[in-house]
Amino acid sequence: MAKTILAVDDSASIRQMVTFTLKGAGYEVIEAVDGQDAFDKANHHQVNLILTDINMPRMDGLKLLELLRKLTQYKNIPILILTTESGDEMKAKGRAAGATGWLVKPFDPKRLLEVIGKVIS
Amino acid sequence: MTELRSTSDKLDNKAEDKLVLEDKDGVICNNAVNEYLMGIKGDLNQAERLVSDAVNNLVCNFRYISELAGSNHEMVLAIERMATSEGRNPINELLEKQMVTANRIEQELEAVITSLQFGDLVAQLLAHTARQVEMLSVELQRIDRQGSLQGKTEKRALNSIHSGIHKAVNEVKNKSKKKPVVQQGMKMGDIELF
Repeated sequence: MAKTILAVDDSASIRQMVTFTLKGAGYEVIEAVDGQDAFDKANHHQVNLILTDINMPRMDGLKLLELLRKLTQYKNIPILILTTESGDEMKAKGRAAGATGWLVKPFDPKRLLEVIGKVIS
Repeated sequence: MTELRSTSDKLDNKAEDKLVLEDKDGVICNNAVNEYLMGIKGDLNQAERLVSDAVNNLVCNFRYISELAGSNHEMVLAIERMATSEGRNPINELLEKQMVTANRIEQELEAVITSLQFGDLVAQLLAHTARQVEMLSVELQRIDRQGSLQGKTEKRALNSIHSGIHKAVNEVKNKSKKKPVVQQGMKMGDIELF
């Protein structure tokens, strides 16, 4: 059975590129437009990995991360950050909040799939 | 800001009419600054719209090309299954060439996925610049508000600041070249035949 990934980004073009890449590799993809939307969807679907942006309206990626890590079902699910932010301070915040990895945009499809393949198992 | 200044000026006596005039200069100066900053924000919004339109169009093109590439790949595989497996006949040679082309298209599509993310990067950068312009505007207004509440002994210094800002804005305005882009979207432009 195909694994499901929740892709969170407020940019429609990024969501489409992520979805295209992941579906091409055989993953099921659920899209969310911001942290709040992702949190709602994560509560209604069982997902195997979350790939989220940081800077988003309503709820940012770090807040989403913090909230998800408090839920039993998302304690050990890999959560990758895909963002334009590359500063050490922000990365440290992400790590402290429980991120599994940090990917800086723009992403390369092959590299993204490699990283996901490593952590999703 | 203007309201505060007017109220405080009304409270002053007749002997301070000169200061009222000087303050009016200050108001003019701030209007010019606001107008200038609003212009910058307008340009940033326009740039964001243009980039967004371009990216949306490119994403549509990308999806269509990737669907075509997928169909082509499937067709090549089907022909390969139909072709004889004995030795190297012309069909097999053509198929091999076709497979190489299909793989190249796939690689190029992957590169396009990376390139297409520029829209998101530019949008974030423009939003960041717009925020900086907004903050500059707020800061200038704060200085102006503070200025209007200062004692009259500092009026001369304040007038000097106002006229300095006014001069600076005018100088930048004069030096700026005419706006090179007026399009608001990526629609085809008008054509005129002579």
